[in-house]
Amino acid sequence: MNLFGVMETSGSAMEAERMRAEVVAANMANAETTRTATGGPYRRQMVVFAADRGDPNFLNSMQEAGNAAAAALPPLPPLPGTQMPGAQMGDAVAPGVHIAQVVQDPSAPLKRYDPGHPDAGPDGYVEYPNINPLTEMVDLMGATRAYGLNGSAVQAEKSMITSALDIAKA
Amino acid sequence: MGMEIETRLSDQIARYMDLAASEAKLTAANMANIDTPGYSAVGMNFGVEMQRAIQDVNRGAAPEPVQVETVGGLVARPDGNDVSMDRESLNLADAQLKFRTGVAMLRIEYQKVMDAIHADK
Repeated sequence: MNLFGVMETSGSAMEAERMRAEVVAANMANAETTRTATGGPYRRQMVVFAADRGDPNFLNSMQEAGNAAAAALPPLPPLPGTQMPGAQMGDAVAPGVHIAQVVQDPSAPLKRYDPGHPDAGPDGYVEYPNINPLTEMVDLMGATRAYGLNGSAVQAEKSMITSALDIAKA
Repeated sequence: MGMEIETRLSDQIARYMDLAASEAKLTAANMANIDTPGYSAVGMNFGVEMQRAIQDVNRGAAPEPVQVETVGGLVARPDGNDVSMDRESLNLADAQLKFRTGVAMLRIEYQKVMDAIHADK
């Protein structure tokens, strides 16, 4: 059982949660942005998490390639005790998480009457991003908590590895 | 009877630690996916796996892969995710303690061998 692989799982989650916090920060920073490169006001962005499953096609092709290579070689007797429990559970367990995409909030922008504003339309209304600071703060809190949770998982894994090193100590 | 460095008990403890590490891995996977829509928490039956591991050691068989199952009966959020932060934190603490117990037991087991080596001193 490779405990360092467990740290990679938690590490991927910390990376994804940090990205989520960055997107929230960008939303809050641009809460009053009325002008963007694509035109119109800034649009709120959201991250979509997806469990890491690997690319099944890639995995299959790798397995096929491995089988073909194994078939070309003379068969070797299996070494006793080399198969580790959990070595094959990777298929059912997500080895981590990643951000599948960053999507834009499709909701309509807020309109405020401000005829003196340089971005005001002919009717005198300015389009502002539809960003609610409360929603953003709750999202940021969730990201912080999840980041901390995975951080404590890394701490736990680290202490397990350290304690395993103590076996050899007299 | 000759004394072996790897005793049956030390093999069993090693399997116990492997299973504790597997439990930690499953918990870490659940924790990593706490915000993944539609994700269902996974787990394993430690007791059943340990019984099988002991039988494998007694038979001298190679370890079998852990049976991973979806944990049922958890409250799912509107996005279909049913990972509970409290449950996973507890499971991780549990796995960590099991692993440390295994380390302590293995040290005692190896200490016996060390005592036998240094018996004449």
